[in-house]
Amino acid sequence: MNPRKIENNQRAYYGYDLLARQAGKLNGRLIVLEGTDGVGRSSQIALLREWLENEGYAVATSGLKRSKLAGKGLSDAMGGHTLGDTTMNLLYATDFADRLEREILPALRAGFIMLTDRYIYSIIARALVRGTDPMWLRSVFSFALVPDIVFYLEADVPTLVSRVLSARGFDYWESGLDFMPGRDYYENFVGYQRRLIAQFDALADEYVFHRIDANRSMHDVFCDLKGAICEIIADMKPANAGEPEGCGDPGEPGEEPQQVEETGGDEAT
Amino acid sequence: MATLPDGRTLPGKLIIVEGIDGSGKSTQLDLLRKWLIGEGYCVAFSEWNSSDIVRKVTRRGKKKELLTPLSFSLIHAADFSDRLERQMLPALKAGAIVLADRYVYTAFARDVARGLDRGYVRELYSFAIRPTIAFYFRVSLDESLKRILTGRPQLKYYEAGLDLDLSDDPYESFRLFQGMILEEYDAMVDEFDLTVIDATAPLLEQQDEVRKIVDPYLTNVLSAEHSAWREVLSQEGLHGRYLDSILPEQTEL
Repeated sequence: MNPRKIENNQRAYYGYDLLARQAGKLNGRLIVLEGTDGVGRSSQIALLREWLENEGYAVATSGLKRSKLAGKGLSDAMGGHTLGDTTMNLLYATDFADRLEREILPALRAGFIMLTDRYIYSIIARALVRGTDPMWLRSVFSFALVPDIVFYLEADVPTLVSRVLSARGFDYWESGLDFMPGRDYYENFVGYQRRLIAQFDALADEYVFHRIDANRSMHDVFCDLKGAICEIIADMKPANAGEPEGCGDPGEPGEEPQQVEETGGDEAT
Repeated sequence: MATLPDGRTLPGKLIIVEGIDGSGKSTQLDLLRKWLIGEGYCVAFSEWNSSDIVRKVTRRGKKKELLTPLSFSLIHAADFSDRLERQMLPALKAGAIVLADRYVYTAFARDVARGLDRGYVRELYSFAIRPTIAFYFRVSLDESLKRILTGRPQLKYYEAGLDLDLSDDPYESFRLFQGMILEEYDAMVDEFDLTVIDATAPLLEQQDEVRKIVDPYLTNVLSAEHSAWREVLSQEGLHGRYLDSILPEQTEL
């Protein structure tokens, strides 16, 4: 299934362009890091932010459950484990809409590079695993702006397990304990993350993610991200007007733009 | 019959009331509720924007004026879904009568008046149960404004539609906003087969009409023993002086 896209102001939305008029002209870049729990998204965002700022770009970040409006409400609701699936999805949608309208779009309008830790895809994946109607989900989130690039950090479950364990241990939601059978954190983490990865794989084709093999070292992953981001920001002018370091020869203006490389999922291991 | 989106019917009856502010719909629903309880039916009640967990977010958004038309719409959908999952659906499955003060049509009217796409809002609420009867208490804009604005009460920011920049004057803004909502309601009468009640008729006449319409649906409804303590007190000659602390729970359904 292909997402229906609506073009507006040279930008695409996933269906209803409810926000296109107020969004206006967006000069910045929207860069999304997606992937399951423990895949290293937040570390990479911290590294990318520093690198881009050193190169003179204005950078802003956003992430799930960080909205001023619904972030706390969502955390409270998750703490209480009492809300139904549809309600949780709608709270996530509220949180996302608030951040899109009041953080992401204004930053893009002002020419920032916006790095976001997860976007609608994580919300959709977690809902699909729990059996939510896919058509309904897609229409609820159809007001979302199509990002300039979506990186999908993919790692095998054993890699995730060791990273999660060495960082902070298993968590109720990351183990899917709200709907998985039994109370075993380890078994459920493995089962739940496998199902999530299957949904992400399907979404990766549908929404054209840029796959990154995250079983490798943090540095290797960082270099891949840097390389792809350089292409996305090639025609932006940093404050100190130099070429970003490590981007290599950007090519002459007017040349055909380089295609972002798509790595097949099977080769990613 | 209350009907799920996939076409399955539920044994309970879902009766909802709609109308602009000042249409008197809540009064009518309250009268209906008392009558149904008196008839011995099991009656559950659900009110727009009353879910505990979600209301905290809504209250925060309203207090700090953080809400946009889109987030306003989504947070109310979350409230609705929470009440649907926890209050309405279980009661309907059990065969009770569920009375709802405002339903999805409130969102369809308000969110569209706020500028959201009609199709989007309808898809957003596509998980809702189709009511057995949807009453629409129709009243003219002038009459509702007369009822509400007498005494010039303090109008709240979102209630008056001040987020829409229709007018700097809260009363003028309220007038314009209510007018837009009324237009949406009127357009929904045919779309959703709403049962129109003339909300300018005398109170009890309206209630008679409402009961006549509800009555044929009162078959196979779960019954409940209401105020069972009354019988004990009268039979046993007791006063029930220790019942005080527990009675509010019993009368609240």
